[in-house]
Amino acid sequence: MKINARSKENALRQLVSSENGLSEAEAAKRLSENGLNEISAVARTSLSLRFLGQFTHFLAILLWIGAGLSFLSAWLHPGEGMLTLGAAIIGVIFINALFTFIQEYRAEKALEALKKLLPFYVRVIREGRERRIHSREVVTGDIILLAEGDMIPADARLIESSLMKVNNASLTGESDPILRNHLPSGGELMESPNIVFAGTTVTSGSGKALVFATGMGTEFGRIAHLTSAVEPGLSPLQKEIVKATRLVATIAALVGIFFFGLGLLIGRSFWENFIFAIGITVALIPEGMLPTVTLSLAMASQRMVRRKALIKNLSSVETLGCVTVICTDKTGTLTQNRMTAAKIWKGDKIIDTADFYPQAGDMLAQTALLCNNARFADNEYRGDPTETALLKLARERIGDPGATRIQEIPFDSDRKMMTTLNKVADRKYVFTKGAVESILPLCSRSLKSGAETEIDDAFGQRVMETYHALMDRGLRVLAFAYKQSDGQRPGNEPCRQDSSLEEDLVFAGLVGLEDPPRPEVRDAIEKCHCAGIKVIMITGDGSRTAVAIAREIALIRGTPVVIEGADFVKMSDRELREKLSEKEIIFARMTPKHKMRVVSVLQEEGERVAVTGDGVNDAPALRKADIGISMGVAGTDVAKEASDMILLDDNFATIVNAVEEGRAVYENIKKFLTYIFASNIPEAVPYLAYILLKIPLPLTIMQILAVDLGTDMLPALALGTERPTPSVMKQPPRRRNERLLDYSVISRAYLFLGPIEAVACMFGFFYVMNRGGWNAGTMLPPDHAVYVQATTACLTAIIITQAGNVFACRSSKESVFSLGLFTNRAIFIGIAFEFCLHLFIVYHPCGNRIFSTSPVSLHIWLVLLPFAFLLFFAEETRKALARSRR
Amino acid sequence: MYRKILAAVNEHINSEVAGRYALRLAKSCGASFLTCFIAEKGTPEESVVRAEEAMKRLITEAELLEVPAGSITKIGDTLGEIGAVVRHKGIDIVFAATRRSDIEKRFYSGTVTRRLSLQLPCSVALVRVVHMGKIHPHKILVPLKAGIDHIKERAYFTSKIAECCDAKVVVFHATKPITRFFHGEIHLTPYEWEKRLPEGISGFVEYLRKYDIAHEGRLLPGKAARSITIEAAAKRHDLIIMGASERSLLTSLIKGNPVEEVLRETPCDLIILKPRHED
Repeated sequence: MKINARSKENALRQLVSSENGLSEAEAAKRLSENGLNEISAVARTSLSLRFLGQFTHFLAILLWIGAGLSFLSAWLHPGEGMLTLGAAIIGVIFINALFTFIQEYRAEKALEALKKLLPFYVRVIREGRERRIHSREVVTGDIILLAEGDMIPADARLIESSLMKVNNASLTGESDPILRNHLPSGGELMESPNIVFAGTTVTSGSGKALVFATGMGTEFGRIAHLTSAVEPGLSPLQKEIVKATRLVATIAALVGIFFFGLGLLIGRSFWENFIFAIGITVALIPEGMLPTVTLSLAMASQRMVRRKALIKNLSSVETLGCVTVICTDKTGTLTQNRMTAAKIWKGDKIIDTADFYPQAGDMLAQTALLCNNARFADNEYRGDPTETALLKLARERIGDPGATRIQEIPFDSDRKMMTTLNKVADRKYVFTKGAVESILPLCSRSLKSGAETEIDDAFGQRVMETYHALMDRGLRVLAFAYKQSDGQRPGNEPCRQDSSLEEDLVFAGLVGLEDPPRPEVRDAIEKCHCAGIKVIMITGDGSRTAVAIAREIALIRGTPVVIEGADFVKMSDRELREKLSEKEIIFARMTPKHKMRVVSVLQEEGERVAVTGDGVNDAPALRKADIGISMGVAGTDVAKEASDMILLDDNFATIVNAVEEGRAVYENIKKFLTYIFASNIPEAVPYLAYILLKIPLPLTIMQILAVDLGTDMLPALALGTERPTPSVMKQPPRRRNERLLDYSVISRAYLFLGPIEAVACMFGFFYVMNRGGWNAGTMLPPDHAVYVQATTACLTAIIITQAGNVFACRSSKESVFSLGLFTNRAIFIGIAFEFCLHLFIVYHPCGNRIFSTSPVSLHIWLVLLPFAFLLFFAEETRKALARSRR
Repeated sequence: MYRKILAAVNEHINSEVAGRYALRLAKSCGASFLTCFIAEKGTPEESVVRAEEAMKRLITEAELLEVPAGSITKIGDTLGEIGAVVRHKGIDIVFAATRRSDIEKRFYSGTVTRRLSLQLPCSVALVRVVHMGKIHPHKILVPLKAGIDHIKERAYFTSKIAECCDAKVVVFHATKPITRFFHGEIHLTPYEWEKRLPEGISGFVEYLRKYDIAHEGRLLPGKAARSITIEAAAKRHDLIIMGASERSLLTSLIKGNPVEEVLRETPCDLIILKPRHED
């Protein structure tokens, strides 16, 4: 038996307390044993440790070894530049760590937002006296005093109550205040009317409650626990980058070790081989990849803001692109959340509200007007959207009847109805509105042509048929009833449920309310279908309304699986899994607390899930999902803090735009990886030539780093700004086993584009060497003028061909001319930056000193320029051949 | 298996709640119930009174449940005196509530509760009370590691607790994700994970079946402690029953200690069982 089911005395006994409360000594003892009544975060890896983790992964370890060996080499053989190399490698480790950390970093403020929902001070009874204490000091067994406006500090069982209503929105998402009482009640704690919860507020009335759970033991603490404990883990892109870096680092290390061994075999000295091994490893590692990916994601997140999607952590930008399922709310996201009365059923006829011209004493209109808590002030309607729509309907037709409200039985989500007692022109009337299934059984008569007639089974059947018909049109349907009251209840205070007030009512009619879908949603859903993304609606509305709306926006085409909240709770995970595998599925009459389970089961099945939410209790689901999406307009602070993305316009279509952007990001990352990896070949080939042909080293390690971390960066970023192509939303989400660095990327970069660049750079090197009178087989000192110019020409060749390459990489299939040569202006900025940086390296003494370069004449540039065109047109030819083959 | 059950009570309400778990187990097993309070030297009079009142309440509850019950009050060293009672009375299992120090300190720092668990010559159930509103658990989460020992006793204990509360048991196993160096984490569906259920756990499930306890299994990849607390919070379990830690100080320092982490972060009541009955 739970505490809600026990009598007051029994509950007090269970918690070893009394109506006089605990003694101060006992309270202190309990506080010291059970801890403070506060929300605390579960232990997580600290930021500093997470940052340190960036220095210990496989690639970093490899680079540390490289740096260590370089320092050792510098110590044993000073003056060969190994010290600079070691420092440069450490620089690379730090740059990569910093950019990866930026990608993963996310401010965790959800708990802070949760804490704001708890009070600072609370009134308790201890030793028989009322005391005001800090809410952190509340312990189990304390008796707390609650009054209108109080925030509730802990989970407690009411032992006294007077017309007490609480707003449980933070826990249930229901914003309507609900009545509480202190009588024993069975069932679950969450649904029990004698239980009040931490983090909720008293909207009216007062009461006394016995605290039975504090801090993280409360229901609110459970949400906090899930919000802080659920760690989303690495995003799909981060996982792909880890795999890619492992692959590339392994290749680089193996190639280095292989040629080191080969060099020893062919008789080169240990140190020559060592320099070579380090050099080729550095050449094959794309040092600029992580910074470029991070900056590209940052730029994409800026583009998304312009499309009304605010991204909170960078890696989420791409995750959106690979979602396979979107679980979305209905009201406000798929629909406009602008409720209007659309249809009226009265006197056996369904009419449009436009044709509804009631007389002043029309009872349906009067009920809609007077059994209503919305208000008209300053020329606008204010209040709950449903009530506002009803007030507007009635007020604009019958005006103000000059009634006064005497009593109110407020809306209760369990009873699904509300009642008021009003005085209208010296007569008292009871007005009731609510769900049809709640109102109809309370009615004994109905209103037909102005006369009241007894209702029979046939009438009840007609009402239910009409009710279903209206719901099938996507309308939310409310029933209205009234009666003239003979009771002479004195006073004008709201009263508790008076069952006699709601008996023997006259059925006045039905009103169907419409929340029209957002106009852009239909297209967005269509895009999702084309893009292979399953959209699941999770709504608190009834199943018929949900299905009708889903059909209207083309979310469903056949017969969907509809699961209602009550069935959902009873379902095992296995059953739920089977249902979720269906093509079309709708969850109706659901509460936000169910969302996390849906998300978990979908993820366990291998789906990548995006979920929307706006309430406090949506936070765990938002954290659990691959992408949690909160509402910028209607969302709570807690939901916003727990999410990865905030919709600035609460619009479903914005999610789809963001998905499109996310997919484009992935495609663009592939493009610039091809670009970056292509330059690894002209960086590596000089080392192979050095070891195999016994020539002076054509490209130094610092020059490699100048390309990887300097000149390549901006053109690569420019590729990251390519607009999404129309085909991007016409293909299914990428498969879980699809690689970022797949065969097509590697072969195109390493076997086609890279070799052309390698030819160019070796041509540049030999061209200058031959012009300087070099004889094959002669080794020149590192500071020899001809040698320095030759390495500069080699570097210049890479820069020039990379300019052609950046155009070539704009698409892997389509011709650049079909995309439009000038459609991405960022490319030109990137190339301009590339050349400016290279001019600094080649023509500025400072650049010369750092990178061991020297100025080269214009004609060297002119000799090398055709290679850029060669590469560009060779790639165009390849694409044309590939297209013709398809 | 359990004929005599002892609940160690002190001046704190948590020990009384732990005693109620012991009482219900006694009812379920048809065992006799003993409650004891050991007053150490210098214990304030007020604490003695509180503890004795708690014992009285437990005895009254035992009488209502028709469980043969008795109480013992002694002065001396807690561990030594309880040990003596266990040996003298032939106690099969001792229930004790964890203290704040157990949660704040690392387990290996040697709190009284920890020493009870390690040194008593009988089974020990340490109870951490988090939620006093849920007196009868309806959903019990039983996390099990691969290669568990004392399967029979663990299953018996779990079944009897579940039986007395008419609770459903969820057997949970958090396993290491399957990873490959170049492929990263390999995703398996729950169905595929189920096929990898360790043998010991299957044995445990067999016993539950034998005792006719409603149960289901769940196997998920992830860090053990975090997975357990998330599962308990997400699925609204009322009680977690898990085995005591068998990790050494060194292993705990290097790999962490899941039992200790769950003890700190559990969102519901927790029983840590140290079984001593041989299979």
